[in-house]
Order: sequence, then C-alpha cells, then structure tokens
Amino acid sequence: MAISRKAFEDQVLALLGPLQGVARRLTCNDTEAEDLVAETVARAWHARDALNDEAAFRAWIFRILHNTFLSDRRRSAARPEVQHCSEEEGEEEGFSIFEQAHQPFLLWFSNPEQEFLDRVLREDLERALCALPEHYRIVVVLSDLEEFSYAEIAATLDIPVGTVRSRLARARSALQKLLWNSAREYGLSGTTSRSEGACEAKP
Amino acid sequence: MKKVQPIDCEQALLRIFELIDHELRGDEREAMEEHLQTCKSCYSRAEFERRLKAKLTGLRDSQANAGMRVRIERLLKAI
Repeated sequence: MAISRKAFEDQVLALLGPLQGVARRLTCNDTEAEDLVAETVARAWHARDALNDEAAFRAWIFRILHNTFLSDRRRSAARPEVQHCSEEEGEEEGFSIFEQAHQPFLLWFSNPEQEFLDRVLREDLERALCALPEHYRIVVVLSDLEEFSYAEIAATLDIPVGTVRSRLARARSALQKLLWNSAREYGLSGTTSRSEGACEAKP
Repeated sequence: MKKVQPIDCEQALLRIFELIDHELRGDEREAMEEHLQTCKSCYSRAEFERRLKAKLTGLRDSQANAGMRVRIERLLKAI
C-alpha cells in the first residue's frame, strides 16, 4: 500500500533539516541545495508507489536526492565545477592524521592528536568536506553527519555494503589528508614550515 | 565461558572504522574491545577516530532554514 499523504508530509518535514544539509554538502551551494531538495520532494511524491516499506523512507528519499543530484550534475556537465582534490589524491589509501601526528619530530607536543582536534575548526572541516570528490563526500556525510548504518548507505547509494566499507576508508583517508595539509597553516605539522624557514635562513 | 580469538594491531587497525561506526557485532566486537584494553596505541587511535567523527557529526544540520521549510510546505500543499 502506498504511503498516505499525511505520513509522506510528516516524514518529509521531519527529515527536512538533514535533506537540506546533505544537499548543501553535495552542491556546495545554498541556492542549488534548496532547489535540489524541492525537486527531490516532488520526485519522491510522484514515485511514492515504489516505496514498499515506510520504515525505509529515510534511505529511499536520500537515494532520490542523490540520484537527482547526479542527473542534474550530468545535465550541467559543461558548467565549471567546484575545485575538488584530484581523484589520484583521493584514491590514496591509509593516510592517517594519528600516524602523522605520532612521527618522532612531533613528540614535542605532549599529545599531538589532541592538539590537532583542539585546533581544527568547523570551517576547516566544512572546507575539507567540500574539497572531497563527490563519491567520497557522500559516504562521509551519510556516515559521520547523518549517522546512517553501512546497510542504509548501501541502500541509499545502491552499492554493496563491502563497497561502502572500502569507500568510507578511502574517503576518510582523503579527508584526513586535506585536514592535515590545512593544519600546517597553524603549525601542528611544523616540519614543512620549519624546514622552509631553515631554507630561508640560508645565505 | 567462550573465549574470543585474540587479534593483533594490524587486524585491529583494519576494523577500527567499523568499531567507531558501531558496525561490529558479537565476537568481532568483543575481540576488538579486548585488544583495545591491552594496547595503548590502538586505543589512542580509536579514541582519535571517534573524536574526529564526533566533530564531523557536530556539523549536522538538524533544522532546515525558514525559507526552505516554507517552500516545501507550499510544495506539499500543491502536489
């Protein structure tokens, strides 16, 4: 049986904040995000007969949101995109801030990873998220911001759970690399700036 | 009482995201927790990943802005 109008409206309004939040992070643009949510709600209403289980509404409507984003993006493929970190950079696996912070030259901080967490700002996180390639950004947003389970992410993105697991690991690696690079600006990974400083001091 | 198969650091690090994402169940979770109780390095790594995840969760938008809400309420009336 199709979802009732009242149940549909209640579910949409209850999820409106997360829908707008995920749309903002997919588009990196507030106006486009609002248009994307409106288009998603209209499409979901017209496709409501395809929803077999009301308990799966969240994954279902986020799947429509993601598919709508992808089809809009394909339509506007000629338009210049937001600059993301390169796929090659994103594909690098196993980068860990924790491991970087525990290199011997950083042990002058009593707790370097704590130092990093204390200093990282909301804007740093937003900027790094926005710089991730879209297929990485969406898994981080669904897992870490919206706290979807791997099974829900798999249902939303129509990919196997094993792919969610591996993509999330690579996405976090890419995100941590971006955050670590921006942390250099405030001197936590001081080797770069210190060695540059040493070079400048040379005659 | 059943005893779980111990895991080493390499195995623990491979599952650390699944731990912080609450995706480990049963023996897998138990083996990981036992390892973290005895390995300071892996424990610190797991704590770091948990706290970074919590920072990201803090970015979540639980409420839509007023303009978005009005637009969607109008849309819902019109469809």
